[in-house]
This record gives sequence, structure tokens and C-alpha cells, in this order.
Amino acid sequence: MAKYIYHKEDSRHHEYNEWLDSKKTFSFSDYYNPKRMNFGALRVFNDDILHAGKGFGRHPHDNMEIISIPLDGSLIHKDNLGNEQVVTAGEIQVMSTGSGVFHSEYNHEQATTTRFLQIWIYPSALNVTPKYTRLALNKEAFDNQLSAFIAPEADTQTAAVQQQAWMSLGTFNHTRTFEYQVKQSGNGAYVYVISGQIEIDGQQLSAGDALGISETNAFSGKIISPEAEILVTDVPMTF
Amino acid sequence: MTDNLSIQLLAIGYHPEIMQVLHRLMNSHSGWQGDIALSLEEGLQQLSDKTYDGVLLGVGVTPEDEATISAAIEKQQLPTRIIRHYGGGSGLLENEVRTVFENLQHK
Repeated sequence: MAKYIYHKEDSRHHEYNEWLDSKKTFSFSDYYNPKRMNFGALRVFNDDILHAGKGFGRHPHDNMEIISIPLDGSLIHKDNLGNEQVVTAGEIQVMSTGSGVFHSEYNHEQATTTRFLQIWIYPSALNVTPKYTRLALNKEAFDNQLSAFIAPEADTQTAAVQQQAWMSLGTFNHTRTFEYQVKQSGNGAYVYVISGQIEIDGQQLSAGDALGISETNAFSGKIISPEAEILVTDVPMTF
Repeated sequence: MTDNLSIQLLAIGYHPEIMQVLHRLMNSHSGWQGDIALSLEEGLQQLSDKTYDGVLLGVGVTPEDEATISAAIEKQQLPTRIIRHYGGGSGLLENEVRTVFENLQHK
């Protein structure tokens, strides 16, 4: 029988300062809530808004898969691997930080905010060679269906992470049902509503709400608003 | 906890620049005192020389190294808790340490 965990939008930890407006789903930095630590290998799910021209200065990471998904605006990424990339809405970036990387992330927009999802997934192996990937998403692939853009192996539509994890997007423009097959046994799916309203197994979800579903191989949902965009993060529940 | 009621931490990791950041973060945190070791040998020596509440295993430390550290702690009957540190910076550090020591306080 499927197991559910519901995270309502306003249950997330909200921090606001002169450069960052951040809503944290799970404990992060000095926010500590033992009941909000992770969903399987998904450890961080922050919905961040960077003020114009502001951002995260140079700082290190290691042994974490870090995915950034701009929802509007653009980020400028620089790292000590020699990458300098602007990542705009409709693109994503992945850092497999492995044996160590230093980077900065700033809002590339000088007059407007940039909103992006910052997602961290525990890696399946330690100390791998760091890698950076920027991927332009093929919008058509997500029209009225859930389609993967993150996977353990890269292909033309997906960027790779160092974990048996997948991330899928779906942009729906009419009321309909959808089905999702969990990618491998033992994984769970964390469904985040970027916009619109959906329903999964009787649980209605609005923008910013999330539902973690585990101990099942598949689930179905219903789009109940004229338009909706959803993100599914499919991760091992034990790792 | 030991000295001055601070949590005494040793962070072992092999990336010097990242470990310097970790050193700064540990010592800027109220109630923590932190040392770093940049090699397994150095870490084992420091565990012998000083009593730590926790040892953070950072970048470069392999599962085999962790087994060696765990065996050394057990052999010397040290009170040191092993904490695997992920992420390399401030994002998870406080959570990782608090998870171990707040759980201890509740036992």
C-alpha cells in the first residue's frame, strides 16, 4: 500500500533577507527540523528567489548532486572547473560535486528577480570526479506528459546524476489524468506543483504543495486547473 | 560535552581549500570548537591526542578510511561519534551535527 507525505506550501521554512527569499522544504543551513530532513535520497528542495544582481558568492561543495532549475529569469554560474554559463528558464544545470568544486551563482538579471529550484540529491558514490552540465529542455517533450530530464545516464533529453534518480517535468494545458511509473523498485516519487492544481489519490495540491509517494510502483493523478506544471523527483528511499 | 561545554569536532578531509572553509564554519558556530586534519594519518593522530565529541568525515574520505577511523575509535574506547559530512559547506553542516548531538541528549 502506498505511503504518502504531504508538504503544504506554507509549511516550508521561509527566510527573507536583502538578497534572497527562500522557502526550504527540508532542514538546511540553520533551519533544523528533525521531521523535515529528507525524502529518501532527496535532501534539499529550496524554492529560491534571488534579488536583482544578487546571489551566492564563491563557496565549496562536495559529494552532492546539485540541480538548479530556473523558473523565471536567469542565473550566472561560475566554477573552478572553468565553467561560466548563463542558465535561463527552460534550461537546467547539474553539478556532480564529488571530490570538490567551488562555484558562485548570481541572478544574471540586473533589474528583476530570478526564481529557481535548488535541489540536492545524495550521491550513490563518494568522491567522484566533479562534473558540470547545462541542458536546454525540449519544451515539446513535456507537453501534457511527464518526461524525464534528469537520469542516471545522460542522453539527448537528460542530464546525468550520480544516483539512481530521475526528475521529470510535465506542462499540462487541459484537464486530464496522468500516470507515473516509479522508475525502479525501492524508489519514491516527490511530486511538486510548480503551478496550477492537481489531485493525487484524493489529495489536492496547489502551487508550492508537494506529495511524497513511496512503497508503490505507480500512481495516477488528475489535473484540476486549466493549466498546471509539475515536477517529479524519483529517488531511492534507502541509499 | 567536553571542554567549556562546547562540542569538540574534528573534521577529516583531503581537499585543503574546502577544509579551510569547514574549519572557519565550525569555529564561527556558537558552541562548537573545530580542528581539521588533511590526511587519514593526521586524523588518527589527532584522535589519539585529544578527545573529540564528533569526527566529521569530509571530502576524499573513503568507506575504507571510515572503517579505519571507526576501528581506531573503538580500539581506544573513545566517546567520539562519527558524522559523515555531505555537501562541503554550510548547507548541511549544522543539521548533521545537531542530528547526532540532539539525539544523544534525548537518550
